Amino acid sequence: MIFTFDFVILIFMVVAAIIALNVKDLLSASMIFGIYGFLICLLWAEMGAVDVAFTEAAVGAGVSAVLFIATVFNTKRKSSD
Amino acid sequence: MIISIISAIFIISGLFFFAGAAIGILRFPDFYTRTHAAGKGDTLSSLLVITGFAIYQLKGFESFAADWPILLVIFKLLSVSIFIIFTSPTSTHALMDAGWEEHNEPKIMEGRPNHLGEDSDQF
Amino acid sequence: MLSKVFATIAVVITGGLLLYGVYDFPSFGDPNSPPNAGVEGGADSVSQYFITQTYNDSKVPNIVTAVLADYRGYDTMFETVVVFAAGIAIFCIMRSLGNANDPAKEKDEMHSFTHGDHNRIIIGTTCRIVVPIVQIFALYVIAHGHYSPGGGFQGGVLLGASFILLALSSDLNAALKRLSEKNYFALAAIGVLIYAGFGLVAQFLGANFLEYGVLQPLLFTDGPEMARSHSMLGVEIGVAFTVMAIMFSIYANLSTRGTLKNGL
Repeated sequence: MIFTFDFVILIFMVVAAIIALNVKDLLSASMIFGIYGFLICLLWAEMGAVDVAFTEAAVGAGVSAVLFIATVFNTKRKSSD
Repeated sequence: MIISIISAIFIISGLFFFAGAAIGILRFPDFYTRTHAAGKGDTLSSLLVITGFAIYQLKGFESFAADWPILLVIFKLLSVSIFIIFTSPTSTHALMDAGWEEHNEPKIMEGRPNHLGEDSDQF
Repeated sequence: MLSKVFATIAVVITGGLLLYGVYDFPSFGDPNSPPNAGVEGGADSVSQYFITQTYNDSKVPNIVTAVLADYRGYDTMFETVVVFAAGIAIFCIMRSLGNANDPAKEKDEMHSFTHGDHNRIIIGTTCRIVVPIVQIFALYVIAHGHYSPGGGFQGGVLLGASFILLALSSDLNAALKRLSEKNYFALAAIGVLIYAGFGLVAQFLGANFLEYGVLQPLLFTDGPEMARSHSMLGVEIGVAFTVMAIMFSIYANLSTRGTLKNGL
């Protein structure tokens, strides 16, 4: 566990989360949520929790992004707020 | 020692191409050139970095009987690089194709003939 | 607008409370903290037991898989049931509500970029090469889950993702031809059944639910340790069945509003 590395990833994660909340286009939001998933996967892998990181890479970054995009394509693409 | 130097050369050249890809994404004018930079730079630099890792694994290799697990690690790393050879250009192609189908106009310099619109109907 | 202000205040207060709670935690990797060293004058810590005794108990080097599938097997079984229930719930909702508002109209204009198959040959060919590689890797992850990182959930998600990739690259019918709706729901149920079946068989042999050690005569192993190891593999296979089927069913129902036609 390297503190500097953790800190940089955490800052990226917070930035990605804020952008995903604020962006109007829901397709972009789901993409950025995928980036958030990859960052949290990186953080877990770096802290030594390889199993959790693997799950997050497969579920959080891979499949859930696809499911979000499938949902966005079947509903509205613009965010209402 | 020599293995460290060779792998360092590979990894550093990979990082150089990564930097080129990042600068290309930031500096190029439109969607297609940016995707081009990202796709080309990403593929080559990932390959170089992973090859560097694989070469670095050879460091402790002395005899086949004792050190064969190292070869297994190298095999896994090379499999990853082969996977990247297949998938990364295809994903770049899919991205570009989606942009083209969405009528994302490429930027063309003033005074240059625009050949892109002419045969787009024949697709 | 006012609701956003209230939401921000609520988030800030909750975040502050959580950070205040984290402040009381032992620091990361502290060997003297109660989870690592146990309570003074009390019992030994659970994590010490897992770290020192897992290999003796079950001959499984990956402690995470051993905790997940054996020591906390009951928990994982109901996680699988939760995944199963989520898939069934999405199926029910999409089937009943999805057909009510006609999707065909707005869908056509939104999917303009998937129209025309001129360049699909590159993507289709690559995906046909990649899908078997992904599936083999998924099987490796499942089968090798107790020696390296991985296990039923990850391997199942990868298997489901391979079918989703097939559906994305060509269309949903190509994937449904390989794994039809009848089959994937059967697989999902079979996965839960495999997991619960291991527990029930152990119960019939006179032990507790999910106590794998007594399965030794059925699995023809050397000792109860190896029986536990092999049972973990079987349980992971059950989890992988359920997760694979449910992932694909969620994708198929969400991307088509429950009609299972056209897809993305």
